[in-house]
Amino acid sequence: MTTNQNDTGVSEDAVAKVADEAVDGLARETEGLSQGQIVRKRFMHNTPAVIAVFVLVFVVLLSLTSIGFGPVPGWWQWGFTEQPPVQNGGRPTLSLTGLGDHPFGQDNLGRDLFAMTMRGTQMTLLVMVLVGVLTGIIGVVIGAASGYFRGWTEAILMRLTDIIIIIPLLILAAVLGRMAITYVDTGVLRVAALGVLIGLFAWTALARLVRAEIMSLREREFVDAARLAGASDVRIIFKHILPNSVGVITVNLTLLLAAAVLLETALSYLGLGVQPPDWSLGRLISANQQAFTTRPWLFWFPGLFIILICLAINFIGDGLRDAFDPRQKKFNPRKAKETDAHMLDETDAVTADAARSGADRDGNAPGPTKPA
Amino acid sequence: MTRRTRILGMVAVGALALTACASQDSTDTATGTDTATDAATAERSGGTIRVAETNAFTSFNPAVGANNLDINSKVLGTMRSDFIYIDNELNIVQDESFGTYELVSEDPLTVTYTVNESSVWSDGNAIDRGDMLLQWAVRSGYFDGDDPEAGPTYFQYAGSTEGLGLTEMPEFDGEQTMTLTYSQPYVDWEIAFGLGDAMPAHVVAEQAGLADEAALVELLETATPGEPNEELQAVADFWNTGYVTNTMPSDESLLLSSGPMIVTDMVADQSVTLGLNESYGGDLAPQADEITVRFIGDAAATIAALRNGEVDIIAPQPTVDSVTEVQGIDGVTVLQGSQLAYDHIDLSFDSEVFADANVREAFLLTLPREQIVDRLIRPINENAEVVNSQLYLPSEGDLYTQSVEQNGSDAYAEVDIEAAQELLDGATPTVRILYNSDNPIRVDTFSLIQESASQAGFVIEDGGSPDWGSELGTGTYDASIFGWISSGVGNAGVPQLFSTTGGGNYSAYSNEEVDALASELMVTTDSDEAEGIKRQIDALLWGDAYGATFFQSPGLVVHSDDVQGVEYMPNQTGVWWNFWEWSLNS
Amino acid sequence: MLGYVIRRLAIAVVILFASSFLVYILAAYAGDPLEDLRQSRDPNREALIAQRTAALNLDVPPVLRYFLWLRGAIGCVVPFGATCDLGTSLQGFEVTELLSRAIAQTVLLVTAATILSIVIGIALGIISALRQYSGLDYGVTFMAFLFFSLPVFWVAVLLKEFGAIRFNDFLAEASFSPVAIVLAGIVVGLVVYGASYGTTRTRVLVSGGAAATTMVLMLGIGASGWLRTPFLGIPGILLVGGLISVGVTFLIAGFRNKRALYSGLTAVGVAAIVYFPIQSVLGDDASWLLIAGLGVVTLIVGAVIGYAFGGYDRSQNIRIGALSAFFAGGLVLLDRFMQSWPQYVGHPRIRNRPISTVGSSTPGFDEGFWLSGIDTMTHLILPTAALMLVALAGYSRYSRASMLEIMNMDYIRTARAKGASERSVVMRHAFRNALIPLATLIAFDIGALIGGAVITENVFAFTGMGQLFIQALVIVDLNPLMGVFLVTGILAMVFNLVADLLYSVLDPRVRVKA
Repeated sequence: MTTNQNDTGVSEDAVAKVADEAVDGLARETEGLSQGQIVRKRFMHNTPAVIAVFVLVFVVLLSLTSIGFGPVPGWWQWGFTEQPPVQNGGRPTLSLTGLGDHPFGQDNLGRDLFAMTMRGTQMTLLVMVLVGVLTGIIGVVIGAASGYFRGWTEAILMRLTDIIIIIPLLILAAVLGRMAITYVDTGVLRVAALGVLIGLFAWTALARLVRAEIMSLREREFVDAARLAGASDVRIIFKHILPNSVGVITVNLTLLLAAAVLLETALSYLGLGVQPPDWSLGRLISANQQAFTTRPWLFWFPGLFIILICLAINFIGDGLRDAFDPRQKKFNPRKAKETDAHMLDETDAVTADAARSGADRDGNAPGPTKPA
Repeated sequence: MTRRTRILGMVAVGALALTACASQDSTDTATGTDTATDAATAERSGGTIRVAETNAFTSFNPAVGANNLDINSKVLGTMRSDFIYIDNELNIVQDESFGTYELVSEDPLTVTYTVNESSVWSDGNAIDRGDMLLQWAVRSGYFDGDDPEAGPTYFQYAGSTEGLGLTEMPEFDGEQTMTLTYSQPYVDWEIAFGLGDAMPAHVVAEQAGLADEAALVELLETATPGEPNEELQAVADFWNTGYVTNTMPSDESLLLSSGPMIVTDMVADQSVTLGLNESYGGDLAPQADEITVRFIGDAAATIAALRNGEVDIIAPQPTVDSVTEVQGIDGVTVLQGSQLAYDHIDLSFDSEVFADANVREAFLLTLPREQIVDRLIRPINENAEVVNSQLYLPSEGDLYTQSVEQNGSDAYAEVDIEAAQELLDGATPTVRILYNSDNPIRVDTFSLIQESASQAGFVIEDGGSPDWGSELGTGTYDASIFGWISSGVGNAGVPQLFSTTGGGNYSAYSNEEVDALASELMVTTDSDEAEGIKRQIDALLWGDAYGATFFQSPGLVVHSDDVQGVEYMPNQTGVWWNFWEWSLNS
Repeated sequence: MLGYVIRRLAIAVVILFASSFLVYILAAYAGDPLEDLRQSRDPNREALIAQRTAALNLDVPPVLRYFLWLRGAIGCVVPFGATCDLGTSLQGFEVTELLSRAIAQTVLLVTAATILSIVIGIALGIISALRQYSGLDYGVTFMAFLFFSLPVFWVAVLLKEFGAIRFNDFLAEASFSPVAIVLAGIVVGLVVYGASYGTTRTRVLVSGGAAATTMVLMLGIGASGWLRTPFLGIPGILLVGGLISVGVTFLIAGFRNKRALYSGLTAVGVAAIVYFPIQSVLGDDASWLLIAGLGVVTLIVGAVIGYAFGGYDRSQNIRIGALSAFFAGGLVLLDRFMQSWPQYVGHPRIRNRPISTVGSSTPGFDEGFWLSGIDTMTHLILPTAALMLVALAGYSRYSRASMLEIMNMDYIRTARAKGASERSVVMRHAFRNALIPLATLIAFDIGALIGGAVITENVFAFTGMGQLFIQALVIVDLNPLMGVFLVTGILAMVFNLVADLLYSVLDPRVRVKA
């Protein structure tokens, strides 16, 4: 910041010109396209986000096909409970020339870490998906209902939200994790119960966001128009209002998914997450945290998958945020960049906007926080 | 000055505990106490020795059930003198600089205890009649009603009242000598009474609203057993709850010490600092000036703290990784050994599957005991071996070897799938195995057994549960893998585990011969005779295919080379057993 | 406004009741508080069970038992009249006592981390917004996501290895290897290149200068053993203080306002002049109260200096004078701590390994204000760093987004159009408005942090609120558990309200419903 205006500032003429061109460009670019097509197109231009999608798909496919799921067998030679003899101190056999017998190494019982990591990935993704789906459904329905109907509906639903939102998420999740341990006995079911329980309580931030969004949308002309045309409340909500707030919902959900992965890791560390003999990525790294200096592969490979999943989801969320951002209609980022007006580029404004729209009525910043 | 007695046996009743959490908390419990000689002189520079412990200190009275934590016992152990302490070869060592005891007569069993006049509390008050009487009242449960539901229940003593419960009101000869007379011989008489966790009677009396120690003595000598007594209840209430604190108490009388050290500082949930007790005159005077105990719950954090030179002695949970890691640290000494805890599998005699002796034998034949030790324990402790006795542990040396030679466990030394198949004769019995699914070693043990037993035709059901403890003895399983912790001294646990009505007999085992031998054992005061009886029981158990023992839990202690004199101890006292010998290199 | 606050508080109380009921019921059904006793083999097991059942009213169904708890707890919420009784823990401790200690530990743990992560996070976010799509921006974005994705205990393991164990080893020698010096120079150069702007030539010159300065500094530090006997002295205070003062002046007033610059530099000069006299005040009997008092005096002196310089914009001078004085005073304080450093490191309880990995203080270490102060700091460095790295991500992302949005606003364009300097546009027009949405976020985060640092506490052996809660939960000990909830719940509600009020104050467009 130690330069004067001429180094970086953009003359006002240039600004106006860029703005006009950008608007024109966008209008041309989006002509005849549906909202979905526009979003998809914008998303595809975001290289990190596209890479992230491929990474995530790869991770999901790898974990499902390698060791199989349920009754379906996978292509990998070891199961996650098999105990072949320990070779070479359990070191990983992964190299440039091939996978070898145990690409990620083995633990002290000889179990194949690749198989365990794949199982852990499945369980982690299971928790993530359950949390995501439940949170999405409950959050949207409660947020939409209270934002649209206002009055008593809103008062009751929002007080209900308040009741849950003041309990710190990690504390709530820990109590729920403890319940899952006490009441559900068997492996996958218990993992699922954990996901369901967290999902049943983690929707509050999303509900507030959706409500704030809907409260502003319901005053818009197109809603009045639909109402005058005789559309039912349900139809107005689902056909006219929600599609317009899908950006906020998607973005918040993706962030929540990343937070769910980390929450599960935190719970496993505290012994309240996925229970033995089953594995989640969180349990793998917390069980092996002592191996950090002695058998680092036990720690690094599952950790790598957590980071891959989280990074991928975060970048996808970032990409979606850009793609859905209505403000993008003002400028075309690529064009703007070409004219060197980098001060005028924009991205991820929704985050700040969301923080405010959530805040201006109830003072709650949305967005999942990470357990620390 | 000290006389050594060979310890009688393995499983002491009060100290028997399920190893439910043994794999989770890395530390041990101190019940023994210690004594010493030289008073501290002014210009010492023994320095500070820093010990890491898993649990945080909560009370100066670990004899209360709710506060019976290992760490409380360890801290109190440095603050109490006793007639005996246990050394790391599990011998009872007398500390005659504190006091003496003597077996006066075997029938009726009569023991006298004499505290030296030089033994005093740190406020100068003599350790005498009141202290001994109060301690006896606690350990005998003399004043409690017969039915715990109906009451009255006074002292919430964590240990067993079985031994001193056999004694009558003690007689005193002067203020320092007490005589206990038992109604029948008691095998563990030598460890039944002690002042290792005694509370000062004059303080308890005052805090409970009595005039002085004499008033307490009178109260104890006149109160009627089994009847409600308000004054006695006040005494018990203070004893039960008055010592609970984790910060420096404002009332210094709570801190009184009769041992070599005394608490000088406490930071809640962080540390306890022990300094020298100036008024200590016994033989077990510490080399170091100060011992600080730091509470670090996370095992990895403990090792990091040792590496970073923040603590000198640690006892992390031994795992393949912690052992490898500490072995790679420069400037530390690694002490590996076994704890007096062992994992074993018990077969339920009330289950349909195991009603048939052939099926029991076949099942035991499929147990890959050598493989379990090899895969799970040897990576942690390379000298680990398969335990081949239900009553002794390899740590006990000759006694163990003698028993193994004759108990018939060699029949199950190796996995013999063919023999098992022969015994099963084509049947495929279903066996549900209960174990603690929170304990990785038990989970792995189960996996190994499952794989091996399946080969002989057994169908193994996974009964693992984190709440396994509440399922014990409920008949919902056919076999159970779990652990026992023993204190290393005493025999009272034998009937508890193996007699038909024993409280720890979860597998409905019943053998009249064993019942008779166990009863006989309890009234045998001669140690050689007692060992003979135990060997017979051991052989009967293997003959009945009661179950099988696997391994002793590995133990790990690591200390900085700056500290000398730290020795491995298998029992729950851990390294604290000889804290007075620890010294710092200058 | 007052009506609004009262209404909100009334609703808050009702919500708190409902919420505590929910937590109570969930926790009560989460497990069995008698579990350890049921597994016990004590001969007096039944008596112990009966005793605990009576003490915790376990024979009462949870739904009713909640009201028993509430009867005592209500005294803690009602400000006067009733006494606060949150019951006792299983071990027999008063929950109120446990809570007060745990809160102290937690506050100690999270305060510095919160402040640092906010300041650094916002600075990073703003810089990366101003340099959008540059290498620096991508770098910050990636690091932010990476740290967000890393489990805290993993960060902690790394910090302990490199920040404590290896650093303490390094301190024994306290000199840098040539490779390290060159590497550090390259890294600094690259970062500065990414952050600077202008022509390529300018950027290369600036970053080259920064790299060279770094390397010379490292050489000097190594050669002089500065890390073992650190000091600033009057030259250090003048140099560093002067630089800070120039920076502050640039950000607030710009260099055209000479009087502002002079008042800042004068404040630093005064700090250097009082350096020797003040040492006697900063003796062994110093206290935080004294430091705070001196801080206030410093601010006043700085403000007076600024006022004395006068000029057309006195308030600017006053602010710069006060800020410069504040930072210079901080340097004097830092120097005083540095003077005690060798004594601390050589202390027999420290044994030349100052940076610590567990706990909040060295047991039994009580050596006066300065040494104990250093002791606290050496214990806080690692957990603070861990919490900070994790929280940085959120703040930098939000502030970047917020800043980008503001920079696209019409009034920014207007500001540029009227010829405002870039500094003025960024600092005056954009930055302040970008902070508004962050205020909400910060207020809300502080409430969450008090209850949420569970894992950090565990790894660094702190026993704050998180530990209290988790330990209580594992054994289903409801009283301490509810105590923790009560504190975090009330904090969350209060900060929620504060955030709302703050928001309406900061952004006049938002009005609270009265």
